[in-house]
Order: sequence, then C-alpha cells, then structure tokens
Amino acid sequence: MIRFFYRRKPLRMAMLFFFLPGIIFAQTEKSVAPVGRTYAISNATIIQAPGRKIEKGTVIVKDGLITAVSAGATIPPDAVVIKGDSLFVYAGFIDGLSHTGVTKPKEEKDKEKPKDPGNPPADRVGLTPQNDVRDFLNPNDKSVEELRNLGFTVSQVVPYGNFLPGRAAIVLLGGNSPDDMVLVSDAALYSELRGTMGLYPNTVMAVMAKWRELYRNASLSKSYQSLYASNKSASARPANDRVLEAFYPVIDQKLPVLFKSEQVMETQRIFTLKNDLNFQLIIANVKEGWPILNKIKSSGAKTFLSLDLPDEVKKENTKTDQSKKETKTAFDLEREALEKRQKESIGLYTSQAKEFNKAGIVFGFSALSAKTKDISANLRRIIAAGLTEDETLAALTTNPAKLLGLDDRLGTIDNGKIANLVLTDKPYFNEKAKVKYVFVDGTLYETETKAEKKPDAKVVGQGTWNYSAETPDGTVTGKIIIKEEKGSYSGTISNSMNNKTTELKNVSIDKNKLTFSFVYDDNGSSLNVDASLTIDKNSIEGTMTPGGTESFPVKGTRDPKSK
Amino acid sequence: MKKILSIYIASCCALTGVAQDRGNLLIKNGTVLTVTQGTLTETDVLVKDGKIAQIAKNISAPQGTKIIDAKGLFVMPGIIDPHSHIAIDGINEMTSPVTAEVAEGDVINPLQMSIYRALAGGVTAVHAMHGSANAIGGQCETLKLRYGTFDNDAMKMEGAPRTIKFALGENPTRVHGGGSQIVPRTRMGVEFVIRKSFSDAQKYMNDWDAYNKNKLTKGFHGQPPVYNLRMETLAEILKGNIIIHCHSYRADEIFMLMKVCKDFGIKRLVFQHANEGFKVAPEIASFGAMASVFSDWWAYKFEVYYSTAYNAAILTRNGVITSVNSDDAEMMRHLYHEAGKTQKYGGLSDEEALSLITINPAKQLGIDSRTGSLEKGKDADIAIFKNHPLSIYGVPQYTIVDGIVRFDREHDPADMRLLVDPKQNLDDIIPSEKGIDRCMDGTEFLFGLSSEMNTAEKETQLDKK
Repeated sequence: MIRFFYRRKPLRMAMLFFFLPGIIFAQTEKSVAPVGRTYAISNATIIQAPGRKIEKGTVIVKDGLITAVSAGATIPPDAVVIKGDSLFVYAGFIDGLSHTGVTKPKEEKDKEKPKDPGNPPADRVGLTPQNDVRDFLNPNDKSVEELRNLGFTVSQVVPYGNFLPGRAAIVLLGGNSPDDMVLVSDAALYSELRGTMGLYPNTVMAVMAKWRELYRNASLSKSYQSLYASNKSASARPANDRVLEAFYPVIDQKLPVLFKSEQVMETQRIFTLKNDLNFQLIIANVKEGWPILNKIKSSGAKTFLSLDLPDEVKKENTKTDQSKKETKTAFDLEREALEKRQKESIGLYTSQAKEFNKAGIVFGFSALSAKTKDISANLRRIIAAGLTEDETLAALTTNPAKLLGLDDRLGTIDNGKIANLVLTDKPYFNEKAKVKYVFVDGTLYETETKAEKKPDAKVVGQGTWNYSAETPDGTVTGKIIIKEEKGSYSGTISNSMNNKTTELKNVSIDKNKLTFSFVYDDNGSSLNVDASLTIDKNSIEGTMTPGGTESFPVKGTRDPKSK
Repeated sequence: MKKILSIYIASCCALTGVAQDRGNLLIKNGTVLTVTQGTLTETDVLVKDGKIAQIAKNISAPQGTKIIDAKGLFVMPGIIDPHSHIAIDGINEMTSPVTAEVAEGDVINPLQMSIYRALAGGVTAVHAMHGSANAIGGQCETLKLRYGTFDNDAMKMEGAPRTIKFALGENPTRVHGGGSQIVPRTRMGVEFVIRKSFSDAQKYMNDWDAYNKNKLTKGFHGQPPVYNLRMETLAEILKGNIIIHCHSYRADEIFMLMKVCKDFGIKRLVFQHANEGFKVAPEIASFGAMASVFSDWWAYKFEVYYSTAYNAAILTRNGVITSVNSDDAEMMRHLYHEAGKTQKYGGLSDEEALSLITINPAKQLGIDSRTGSLEKGKDADIAIFKNHPLSIYGVPQYTIVDGIVRFDREHDPADMRLLVDPKQNLDDIIPSEKGIDRCMDGTEFLFGLSSEMNTAEKETQLDKK
C-alpha cells in the first residue's frame, strides 16, 4: 500500500484545503509527491447509484478507495476537503469500447505490395491478435483528458486496426504510466469485420472465412499441445504460433471476443460467427440494433450502444424557399417525403437505447466513434427520446460495471469501491451542468474551465486555408480557398496527390461549420468527396469522406498571407 | 450442423415474427400456368402455410383466408433468377484466384431495394452469386425474396443445396494475370489452377482420412493436418455436395471444364452465360451439365462476340436443361420478356419458354422439388400477371413468396426502404442503384478505375487504356 502511495504522481496537486468549488488549483511540479491521498467531499448531493441519493452527504476517499459515504461521515483530519455545498456527486462513468489513450501506429508509407495478394504477411492485414493494447497506451494522450472531462473514468480500450488488431484492456482514465492505467489486462480479444483493400482477406466474407479457419486451427493446435504435454517423447514438438495461441483463452471460454458491431447486418454476421464457433461475445458501438432486438437478446451477447448519433437535421434554407412558392412541384413533394423519412430515421437511432431498455437488455455505452464534444448532448437526446435519467445513469455506471465483471469495484459510490467520482455543479443531465472535478482511482482531476467561447463571435470562413488530410494513401496537403459573394460561397481546393486544383461544390458555412464537396480526379478516375470542417478562428478541423468509404481526418490553419 | 442451423433459424423467426412467415391464400379463377402440368383455365390455387395445398376449380377456403380475384389474370410459378448479385454485400474476393472458402451466405443484405424491384418483376428467388474475378470464386446462396425482414438468415432458402462460382476466360486472367501478375494469365492457366485445386483437395482429404483413422489406434500421438477451409470446400465439391456454376463463354473452355470434371468425378455442373454453348450443346447434354444463358446479350468483350439469340433454343432442343438469367438488377425485372425472346428466336413453346425462368433454374439450383412450378405440395412462390407473361403486354400484379404477398401493384408505396440512411445527402439518393454489371465489383483499382463509376464510365476508361 505504501508503495502504491508513493508511486502516484497526480498531474495536479491541490492546496490543503478548498473552500469553494471551482477555485483555481495551485499547480506544483509534476514530480512532487502528493501531500495526501485522503479527500472528503462534504455536504454534497450524492447519487450513489441510480435511484439511491443522499442529500447533504459526505464521501471520504482514501488511498484510491471510497471509505465512507453517509450524511454524517467523520472527516479525517488529514483529508483534503472539497466543500460540495452545491455539487452533485456520481460514480465515474464507464465506456465499453474506444481507443482512448491508445496511440495510433504511424502508417508506413510506400510499403511494397506483397507479390501474392492472396497470401500477404499477417501484420499487413490486421492479423495480430497477439498484440496487447497495453503496448500502445499513453496516459498523456489528449483523448484521456477529453473523455475524463465528461465524467468518464474507465474505458475498455483496444488497439487500432482491422480484422484482429489485438487484445483489449480495461483502463482507468488517469495515471502516469501505461501500467498505472490498467485495471484489467487481457480483457477481451478485439475484432472488426473489416478486411484490407487489395489483400486477403479483403471482403467481409473472406474475413469471416479466415476467422473460422483460424479458430478451428487454434482448437486443433491447442488439443495437440496438450497431447504433446502428456508425452513429450512420443510426438513431434508443436510449432509456436502466436496468432493461434491468442485464441486459446477464447476457446477455453475464459476470454470474450469484443467486436465492433455498428451496422445491423454487421451485428448479425458476428452472430453467425458466434453460433458457428461458440465463443463469449461482447458487441460494442452498436448503432443499429433496434431492428433485431430479439436476435440480440437471445444471443446473450454483452452489449454496448454507441454514443455516436446521427446529426439532427437542421432547418435548411431550401425549406423557406419552398414555403414561398405558391404551388409545390412533384419534386418538392418527393423531397419533403424523403426529408420526413430521414427525420424519422434519425429518431430511430436516437431512441435505440430506450428500445433496448424496453426489451429488457442490459446495456452500457461506448464512445468509440462519438465526437467527445457531442457526447453530453447525445446523452440528453437519448433521454429526450425516452430513456429515463436513472436508466441513462445506469447505462453509464452500474450496467457496464456488471457487464465487464467489475461491479464489485466500480459503478456505484459505496464503501470499498474504487474512488472514481464525477462532481458536477448541476444534475449531470442538465444542459447547463458542468463537470467540476473527476476522481480517477482516488486521484483528483480538475476539469479545466476554459474561458467559454462566445458562440456569437463571427466566424470568418472565407480566405485561404492550408490543410493536411490523413488519407489511407498517406498525408495529402493543399490549399482550400473560400470566396464569398453576396452571401453565397464558392471556392477551390488543391491537393498534393494529383497536383490539381478543383472547384468546390455546395459550399456552405453555417455558424462555424464549413461544408463542401468536390470531385477528386486521379489519373482519369474520379471520386466525389464530401468535406465537413469546423472553423475555430484561424484553424479548421474535421473530416473528408470519399463516396462510399470511410472518412479521414483533416486539419488546417489559415494561410498567414490570406486576409 | 444443418439441424442446428435450422433450429437456430426457427428460433430467430419465432422471435422476430416477420421472418419465415408462411401465408394462407386463395387465388380464384385465374389462368394457371403450372409449367409442368399444363395450363388450367378458370382455376383456383389454394395456399396453406406457405405451400400449395390444392389446384382445382371452385375451391372454397376456410373463413378469413385472403382471396385474390385472378379472373382474367395469369398465375405462374414465381420467377427464379439463376444468376444474380443482388441482396449481398460483397461480390468478389479478388485477392486470390481460388477463394472457395468465402460464402455469399455470410454477407446477405436483406435491405437492398433491388430485392423489392425484383419482386415487382415477378421474381421470387435468386441465386446470389460470387463474381467472376477468380477461377474458383466463393460459394453462392439461393435466396427467397422475403423483402421486409431485417433478418439476414431469413432470406436464405432453407435446405437449398450448396453452390459455388467458377470462372473461365478473360475475367480471371485479367484480374490475376493482368492485375496481380500471378497465375492464371491464360486460359491454360485457368485450367491448371482448377486442376491443381482439385488435386490438392484430394490430398487434403486423404491426409485427414488417414489422421482420423490413425487417431483411433491406441497410443497414437500424431499431429493433425492443418485445417484449411478452402480445401474443405473443394473437398465437398469432389464429394458431390456442391454444385458448380461456372462463368464461361467459349465452347473450347466449356469443353475443357467438362473434361476436368470428368477426370475428378464431378457430375453437378452448370455453365453460366455459355454464349458459345450452342456449339457444344450435344456434349453438354451428354455430360449431364446444364446451361444458364442471356437471351441476347453479347459483344461486351472479345470472348463474347460469337453469340446468337438462338442459343437457348438450340441448347433446349439438344436436351440441355437451360435457363435464362439476368446477372443484372435491372434485367431481372423483366426476365419474362427475356424468356419470350426465345419464341421469336427459336420458336420455343410457351411451356418451354416459361421453363427457362422457372422449373429449369430450379433444377440447376437443386430446388425443383420445392419450387419452379405450380404443383400441390410445392412452396407457394407465385407471380400473377395481367396479360400472358410472355406477351409484351404482360405486367406483374402480385408476387407471392411462401404464400405471403410481397408485391402488390395496387398497393405499391413510393418509399419501400426498410432502413433510411440518417446521413444521406438527398441530392444524391435518386436512382442510387444503377443497373450495372457488378460481376467485377471490387477489382476496379487494378485497372485505375473508381468503384464509383458506372459500367459505361468504366468501359470508356478501359477503352482509353
């Protein structure tokens, strides 16, 4: 325990006593050991678990654990006291799948194409189940702080990649070293039904075929290894194979397989594999589960629903134009009908959590593809669509703790649990609520209260932007030039891949959102690309999506020469 | 395994409620084109639990049975398209010339709009095929067009035999020889690849047989052979458990594959396209192979120039079980016209022409005991036409799968999508599924093409090169 105590190096240290929440913390050097690991949050509204509330209670945190929760808990003399007079305290949230704190391996450029695309090296096609996400963890990655600032304290994280990228770990969103972060190593074998362009397995059907073949070969080699172990002089020594060995604990039903399972067909294909091979299954980042609720329920798979929701449709200018028209054309009517169905469809995605709850499926949430800045708003949309606040809180705390087998240590504010806490100034799901502090493993983090951006500050989109895009074929750079004339926008984009400049289409700037599309021409073949970028004064950030494929990140800054 | 699978399917269906529905129905007073048992006028067809219970005059149905008044209409077996690429996500695993292990059954997509459009053309079942990029492509899946379900398994025609796609000629040589610079580069190479695959599979089977036999001996400590799903699949072909459907055009290569199959004792063989099938029709017939052809589509590449619209008729007259297929989501919607062309070119009878899109494709898929004609006990897969289906004025009115009306021209809503993309750009979604040849999907980048292009654009680009 003492060793544990001194190993800790919290990023922020506090003065011995705090008198008001939100007070600026004095910063000390990182290397200075904390004065104490005992905290008392006094006189706060404590939501111990969904439906369990203590008004004006005190939580005592000591050496990483919650040691007392009650209305009249005695505050130890060495405790750092947080006067929680107006604070709400929740158990730290748990994310079921993301890459939080995981470093993305650098894409090697100009990799030689394998001579036989049907038989490529395993690591070229994501066949690396022996990898361990712990080798890629970085507690200082900004994703850790970003997710923690929303109240998340634990994530089930996986390596980047496709097919079989490696083993997952359940990590704390704090700490100073990768090992500091790890709560459970080897939590699951991670997989995605996604192949590698141009190499085997390329298509989903080949990924599934290869999955079956690997699993069966692993079963065979595992049996043979035990046969060999029983009499080492009678048999040939079994070959080492790290890929197959990674499946052994799965075959033993000791390690679940964690699948990214977003689309409704993807989920069913994963069930096909599960039914063929009979492994324990976690499906995560589920986005379209509601049409197959019964199939999901009967599968017995542990389920994490995506916190990534489709954007709500904004009222478009075309609508007002239409209302001006006296008679609607058939085209207008068709468009209206399509818009109506699209809106209904977005509603289905938003009410998915409610439907799962109604069907009696215990689920958590996952942050994998959700933009951090959208998560709070999306939780409110989920609540507006019918999941109660308590049920939503359960999906963030008690349910995932149970699904991950950690309900003895996580999920509620009770004696003996790991001190993962979220402190907010208003009830969490209130639109105006702010997370003030987060405890992770008994370490206090203040969420930075940045000076709020004034939303009404006029965003200037026109001008020249130097951008770089991380495409699957490598980094592409160039200039985006946006011009404005009488309220309508136009522009051009250049890129380093084909050294061409292309006219932009459908350029629009809505508040700080810049969207446009363009046709990318490469040696005679053309591809439509949609761009969606957020402007922040002199920088832009967002994505570009080539038709029919996955989007890639884009960043840029205003050209200093441009006005 | 099959049993487990069917229990699994049954349990899913019980839960979802939509999948695997079976209907009750009485079709009154139609002209019933049974295809196998003549044409019956003013006749009723009674459907119970998705099966044809009775075909006779003046049938009375239990109260509450849905009745379709078919007076003046033509009632025919649901059309079966033996060569299609709809309702699947992924057509070519083009990374290797042999990919027998991949299966379209794994990537069924029951949400595709092309399924409903096919129903509107009287189609009730399709053979969803792997593409023709590989000498030995993937396993195909026979699907019933039960549009309306989200359940991918519910689309499968339960109990249909396994089938696999082979391909000869320009496509596999272009993709692997031309694209990846590996064997096969020539037609000889294709034959070599197929022969070697079968030989390897024989050795694989022998290795496993030996291992399984030795395993029973006391004190056996041997190592099992490496499990290989590709070889497992090829072995099933050798055992006669998988029907080969081979993309082929030229007479010489059709003849070649029959020789190969004979050498390896393979009997179940269907030639797809077979544009030069008419040149070797007696040979195909004597082998016992079958042919599935286009009515009059050719000249889209060099190996398809020597073609004739009489192909289906010549094959039929030579005793080859012949079908007409679409290979195309658009042509699929008027296969009855395609069949009708064989009356202009070759003078086939009504029954022979209708057989090309009903009982004959059913035979080629090994499902003729279940479907392909209107007979008591068969699945109630039925298309009802206004005007004779072989007439240019024929228009499908109802399409029925397992006794459930899946298309009704009178009640045909404008928007039949089951799942609407919440992020769709409305400007882009109007005609989204072009009637294009998807046979080579996934190989575009080899030729500097974009997967976004339609066939015409691809061809223009290829011509430039």
